[in-house]
Amino acid sequence: MAAYWRSVVAAALWAAVLYPQQALQPLDEAGYRKVLTANRGQVVLVNFWATWCQPCRVEMPQLVKLEAALKGRGFKLITISADEPEQEAAARKFLSQTGVPGPWYIKRPANDEAFIEAVDPHWSGALPAGFLYDRAGRKRQMFVGETRIATIEAAIRKLL
Amino acid sequence: MRRTIQLGICLLAAASLWAQDRIVGTRPGDFTLHDLQGAEVRSASLSGNVTAILFIATKCPVSNAYNERMSALYRDYAPKGVRFIFVNSNHTEPPAEVAGHAKTNGFPFPVYKDPGNVVADLFRAQATPEAFVLDAGGTVRYHGHIDDSQNPARITKQGLRLALDALLNGRNPDPAETKAFGCSIKRVK
Repeated sequence: MAAYWRSVVAAALWAAVLYPQQALQPLDEAGYRKVLTANRGQVVLVNFWATWCQPCRVEMPQLVKLEAALKGRGFKLITISADEPEQEAAARKFLSQTGVPGPWYIKRPANDEAFIEAVDPHWSGALPAGFLYDRAGRKRQMFVGETRIATIEAAIRKLL
Repeated sequence: MRRTIQLGICLLAAASLWAQDRIVGTRPGDFTLHDLQGAEVRSASLSGNVTAILFIATKCPVSNAYNERMSALYRDYAPKGVRFIFVNSNHTEPPAEVAGHAKTNGFPFPVYKDPGNVVADLFRAQATPEAFVLDAGGTVRYHGHIDDSQNPARITKQGLRLALDALLNGRNPDPAETKAFGCSIKRVK
């Protein structure tokens, strides 16, 4: 029996090494504002994505590279998943495997419409979507749909 | 006094920007589309009918989650006189793929290809699926989602059905604008 439990613990530890998954923190409008406030002083790109969104999956590793290159200059990438509850495990796995720095967030407002409107009235909720904020927390640019990483990078560098 | 005038100008500018952003209440320009068999539809031919224009996709999982619901909408409302224009504007989804997708899913309606996303631009559509409803005079009276959840078990609001019911009963939809969540339309670069 002890051997069984040792193997279970070992498997769990191994899984933790392979997929050091954090929980996705649920966000509503108030939570979104708090996250932005907490990151004032940095140039912030909020990236809305989902596991079912192929362009989002293609874009994410490029955004991770960009953050690694620019975090020393004050750039912060914040990811918010738009996945449904049944897709949450897949979202955690993807974030973990892609090496996305945490904390990880997932959109869970009481009213989806109000949340999207609060993020940006011009945004329909289409993915991928990125919102770029300057160091003062002012929204400076919105990227909806497939966007060249060079375009995003240029916009970030302009604010750094 | 000067500050009051400045504030007034700012408010007018903001109101004007807001008005430009909202498509509801406007009449988008004329367009012509062809379905996958080559049949043509012109926007001018739609007047006199309530018309639902839906932007859809073959590869978008959110759009695909609505395939059966879109067929049901068509079956429920076409007999009531609603014209349906299902549009694929994604440059990444060629006509043969769109035709195959329509066949596989047994769509009872034609799908129109929008080369160069001209019609998507005209309506400023961002997502798939995304719905617009025009009244008999061609004015947009509803813009937004089909309903509020890709998972049918979690639907709380029927945006498109309520809009069609309202217009068929001579009223303007309320709400007239909802959020059309989903995949972004893959536009030509």
